[in-house]
Amino acid sequence: MNKKNAKNASLILALVLSLGAASLLPNAVGEYWVRLTNAALISSAAVLGLNFVLGYAGQISMMHASVAGMGAYAVAIGTVKFGLNPWLGCLIGMATAGAFSYVTGILLLRLKGHYFALATLGINVSFIIVVSNLVEITGGSNGLTGIPALTILGFAFDSERRFYYLALVAVVLLAVFASYVRHSQLGRSMIAVRDDELAASVSGLNVTAVKVTALTLGGVYAGVAGVMFALHARFVAPEDFSTSTSIVYLAMLVVGGEATILGSILGAFVITFLPEWLRWLGSAYLVIFGLLVLLMLFLAPRGLAGLFGFAWSKWKAQLSSKEAGKWRFSK
Amino acid sequence: MAFLEVKAVSKDYGGVRALSDVSFQVKQGEFHSVIGPNGAGKSTLINLLTGLARPTRGAIVFEGCDISSRKTHEIIGMGVGRIFQNGRLFERLTVLENVMMGHSARKPPSLLRLAYSPRNASVDQAESREAALQMLERFGLAQYAGRQIGSLSYGSRRLVEMAKVMVGRPKLLLLDEPAAGLNSGEVERLMSLLQVLRKEHQLSVVLIEHNMNMVMRLAERITVLNFGKKLAEGTPAQVSANETVLAAYLGEGYRSAAL
Repeated sequence: MNKKNAKNASLILALVLSLGAASLLPNAVGEYWVRLTNAALISSAAVLGLNFVLGYAGQISMMHASVAGMGAYAVAIGTVKFGLNPWLGCLIGMATAGAFSYVTGILLLRLKGHYFALATLGINVSFIIVVSNLVEITGGSNGLTGIPALTILGFAFDSERRFYYLALVAVVLLAVFASYVRHSQLGRSMIAVRDDELAASVSGLNVTAVKVTALTLGGVYAGVAGVMFALHARFVAPEDFSTSTSIVYLAMLVVGGEATILGSILGAFVITFLPEWLRWLGSAYLVIFGLLVLLMLFLAPRGLAGLFGFAWSKWKAQLSSKEAGKWRFSK
Repeated sequence: MAFLEVKAVSKDYGGVRALSDVSFQVKQGEFHSVIGPNGAGKSTLINLLTGLARPTRGAIVFEGCDISSRKTHEIIGMGVGRIFQNGRLFERLTVLENVMMGHSARKPPSLLRLAYSPRNASVDQAESREAALQMLERFGLAQYAGRQIGSLSYGSRRLVEMAKVMVGRPKLLLLDEPAAGLNSGEVERLMSLLQVLRKEHQLSVVLIEHNMNMVMRLAERITVLNFGKKLAEGTPAQVSANETVLAAYLGEGYRSAAL
């Protein structure tokens, strides 16, 4: 018990330290890097949601960007066309994205594996077509501008640095809730469904209901990402929510490490920053980027999180064999 | 009224008749065994009983309710538990988490409950964790609770599966060759556990098994299937003295061994 407490205490300490460091970050780097970090945080929210759908429940959704788009357009239309308070817009955006995912799940989750993936791809394509053509409401391919910033007691999140704190808090909350879900009966059920659908139903699970729940929860997360996107850019346009963005989300999850919360965030950050780090390569960067992702998949099929976990267990094993007893913090 | 009633059930797969007009009854608390050579339709029968397949004709009545067109999770929720032939556990969950999955039917996972009444959800969680730990203790598996399924021996995995099913407190237990692949010590252990659990929970059991030692010692009634048809039904003594059963399945060697 003592050991567990000590472990928890050191975990909390590590969290507090890294959050402290994270809160100082915007002062240490230039505006451009804060902007990228914000983009990475927004993607993190979406990928944390995709982790429920693919990482836990094993359903390949290719419409994740359009679900985020639902959230983004809901807040944009609500605030620009109807003059709603942006906070209320946020709630509407999340609810819209969740409801959209729920209905899609009810209709499509009777399809299995690749058929579901293809059907969701179709949804994302249709979403773009519809949004581009409903010019009256969505502004068509020109998009919607003039989305107001979020404010708390007169403090507006209207600059990169200010928005960063909001995004950080949102992602931390989303990650904590994701961890809570993972260790609940719902999280176990999602994983059971991915492992063995037949055994899951014979355990008494309504497999379709579990999948629909995963998709809906993932949709709400995507909705948060969409809402953040709209309130960050203060502008929405169809191309930000196209199928290629859906594929980027999938790549983020796989590179970071499927079925891990840390991996979802790591993947979002690495895939957002990698193009910047590879900028010196000029136009050859896409080739190197692709190769790096492939290399990653071959060398670390469990993603970055799997790689870190492996290194961590090696390091711990080495410590305990070399310095047995010396490094004990608790009895 | 019988507890479980299989009424003139037939099952066709394409042109193949896997089961043909099979009927039998299981009384409450009865230990009923279904035996027969491979391909006799035993596993098909269990699949029908758990809603994984639908009978082409006939009906299956459990506690007065026709379950032949019910969904699997509904049937499990009515108090039916099943063990698979080759064992099916969730590889990405720990032993404890696997056993906790046995609660699914009684406490279906719910996002709304998680989000709106986290306190109730955490009480549920603690209860199902406690029940699962107790069951692991009963099965002598407590030390494996935090381990991944993959690190367990085949025998232990079968026991984990059993613990998982028992956590759901079934009234009717369907066992598809639970002794397959176990060594003789593990089979003895499984048998004594089954007997204890049965008494404790007034459990009715349908056992499919090739291990005749186990069948003859545990079963109160036996139904013999051959080529999808019912060949005989009776007490172990009646069945092992039945000439057709000896000829079709048990073999002449069994008669001399039994005497």
